[in-house]
Amino acid sequence: MSAISLRDLTVRVGGHDLVRHVSLDVTPGSWCTVIGPNGAGKTTLVEAVAGLRTLASGQVTLDGAVLSGMSARERARRVSLVPQHPVIPAGMSVHDYVALGRTAYHGVLRAPSSGDRAVVESVLERVELTSFRHRDVATLSGGERQRMVMGRALAQSTMVMVLDEPTTGLDLRHQMTMLEMLRREVDDCGLTVLATLHDLTLAGQFADRLVLLNQGEVVLEGPASDVVRSEELAKCYEMELRVVEINGNDVVVPVRDTRDGLASGSTD
Amino acid sequence: MNPPTTARVAWVTSFTFVVLALAAVGGLVVGPTSIGTSRVLGDALSHLGIGHSTMTHLQSVIVWQLRAPRMVLGLLAGAMLAVAGGTYQGVFRNPLADPYLLGVAAGAGLGATIAIVDVGGGLATPSWTPLLAFVGALIAVGVTWIIGGRGLRSNTSSLILAGVAVASLFTSAQTYLQQQGSVNSLARVYIWLLGSLASASWSSVLLVLPYVVVCTFVCLVAARALDVMSVGEEESRSLGLSVRRVRLVVIVAASLGTAAIVSAVGLIGFVGIVVPHVMRLLVGTSYRRILPLSVLAGAAFLVLADTIARTVMAPSELPLGVVTALVGAPVFVLILSLRGRVSM
Repeated sequence: MSAISLRDLTVRVGGHDLVRHVSLDVTPGSWCTVIGPNGAGKTTLVEAVAGLRTLASGQVTLDGAVLSGMSARERARRVSLVPQHPVIPAGMSVHDYVALGRTAYHGVLRAPSSGDRAVVESVLERVELTSFRHRDVATLSGGERQRMVMGRALAQSTMVMVLDEPTTGLDLRHQMTMLEMLRREVDDCGLTVLATLHDLTLAGQFADRLVLLNQGEVVLEGPASDVVRSEELAKCYEMELRVVEINGNDVVVPVRDTRDGLASGSTD
Repeated sequence: MNPPTTARVAWVTSFTFVVLALAAVGGLVVGPTSIGTSRVLGDALSHLGIGHSTMTHLQSVIVWQLRAPRMVLGLLAGAMLAVAGGTYQGVFRNPLADPYLLGVAAGAGLGATIAIVDVGGGLATPSWTPLLAFVGALIAVGVTWIIGGRGLRSNTSSLILAGVAVASLFTSAQTYLQQQGSVNSLARVYIWLLGSLASASWSSVLLVLPYVVVCTFVCLVAARALDVMSVGEEESRSLGLSVRRVRLVVIVAASLGTAAIVSAVGLIGFVGIVVPHVMRLLVGTSYRRILPLSVLAGAAFLVLADTIARTVMAPSELPLGVVTALVGAPVFVLILSLRGRVSM
C-alpha cells in the first residue's frame, strides 16, 4: 500500500486549476521530490497532501485512509508539514515551539503527557537543538530555525512529512545539513517524504524519485537519475541543462546561451 | 532575549496576588468615611465566627452594602475586560485588539443611549439602561459576525473590518439620538460612556457573575489553543487544531462576557488592551501565563483605579475611564522602557 496516493487530483483556486488531474503514489519509507518551474503548482500540490487545500476533484489517501474524511487531529497524526515560510512566534522558546508538534496527541485541553515530553526531548536531540531549548525562536539563525521547524514536524510522529522548499534562505552548508538530517529520518526511521525543491541537483541527490510538474500537470515521474537526464526537464525550464556526474552524484548545470549575450532561459 | 524564567513568572504571579489582595482591602477601607483596616477585617472575621465586630451599623452598611459590591464588581469587570482583551489579541493575532473590537462598545452605547434618551417613551427607569446596553452589544457583535463571518473561512481581516463598519454605524445612530435628547440626558449618556462603578449593588454583581465566571473560564481553557494559533491559521490546522471552532468559541465567550460587563459599568477603556500587554512584557508570550495573570492584574487594576476615582476629589468622583488611562499609561510606558534595558 502506498504511503501517499493521489488519484486524479485537481485543486482550483480563484477559478484557476493550479493542479490538474494529478495521480501519484509514494511508497512507504521513500523520498519523493516535486520539481518544476515557478508556477508549476508544486506548493499547491503539497498543501493539498497536507490537507490545507480544498480539492475540486480527486482524492488523497495516506496509508489507505482518505484525507478529506479525517478530523484535523487525525490528519495531524498522519501528515506533518514544513512550510516554505513558517510563522516564527517571537518570544516562544525553542522547546515550546517543537512541543507544538504534540498538539494532535494531547489536545488543547490537556497538558502534554510524559510521553509527549519524551518525544520532544528526543526530537530536540535529533535536530541538534538540545542546547537551544530555552532560546527565543526569533534569535535563531536561518539554519537553526529551519531545523527547529523540521523538529516540530518530527514531533508530530507522522509516517508522512510534507516539506515545501525546506532549504529556502539557507546557505549551501545548511542546505546539505538540513537535507542529510531528513535523509536519515527516511533511512533510519522509515519516514515518507514528499518535498518540493527548486535546486535540481539537491533534488536529484537526495530524493528516491522525482516528479516533474508543469502548469499543474505531471510531465514525468520516475527515479531521480532518469528525470534529471530527461529532455522533458529542459523543455519545462525552457533552457539547456547538462548533467555532470561527480562521485556518483548527478549535478545539474544550467548552460548559458551566450550567442545573444543572454541566458537562454530569458530570451523569450 | 530569552523567554522568562520560571522564577520570574513565580515572582510576577506572587506580586500580582499581593497587589490584588491590597486592592481588594483598599476597596473596602478607603473612602470619605474613615473606617480603619483593623475594624473592617475584624468585622469580616466576626462574620466567620472569629472575634467580635467593633463597627457601628452605619459603618457596616457603608462597607458591606456600598463599598463591597462596588469592589467585587470592579474585580469582575477588570478581570473580564483584561482576559477578553488578551483573548482577542490572541485569536486575531493583533496587538491592537481590545474587547470592543467587534462593536460591543458601540452597540452597548447605542442601547444605553436609547434607554437614557427614552426613545419611544417608557424606558426612563434605570433598569432599562443595562438591559438595552447588553442587548445592543450582542446585536452589534451579531451583525458584525453576519457581515464578516465569511472571513472566518480564510482569515479574520473581514471580521475586524466588519467590526469597524458596525461600530461606525451604531456610533452615528447613537450620536443622532444624543442630539435629539435633552441636555440632561446628554450629560447622563456622557457619564455612562466614561464608565463608572458608582451604581454597583449586590444584585448587579449577581447579574454579571455567571457571565464573567463562564466566559473567563472558557477564555482560560482556550489559552493553549491560542498558543498554537500564534503560528498562524494554516500551520495551526496542520498541527491538528480546529481553528474555526476555537475561534468561534473564544470570540463568543469574550464578547458575551464583555457585553455583560459593559451593560453593568459602562465603557471602561484601557484595561482590556494594556493589562494583557503588561503581562506579556513581564511573563512572555504564552497565553497560558498571560491570560490567568491578566485576570488577576485586571481585577486589581480596576479596583485600584476605582478607589482613586472615588477618593481624590471626594465627595465627587472622577470618571473611571479617565483614571484607568491616567494611571495605566505611565505604568505601561515605564514597563516598556524597562523592557528596553532589561532582558525578560
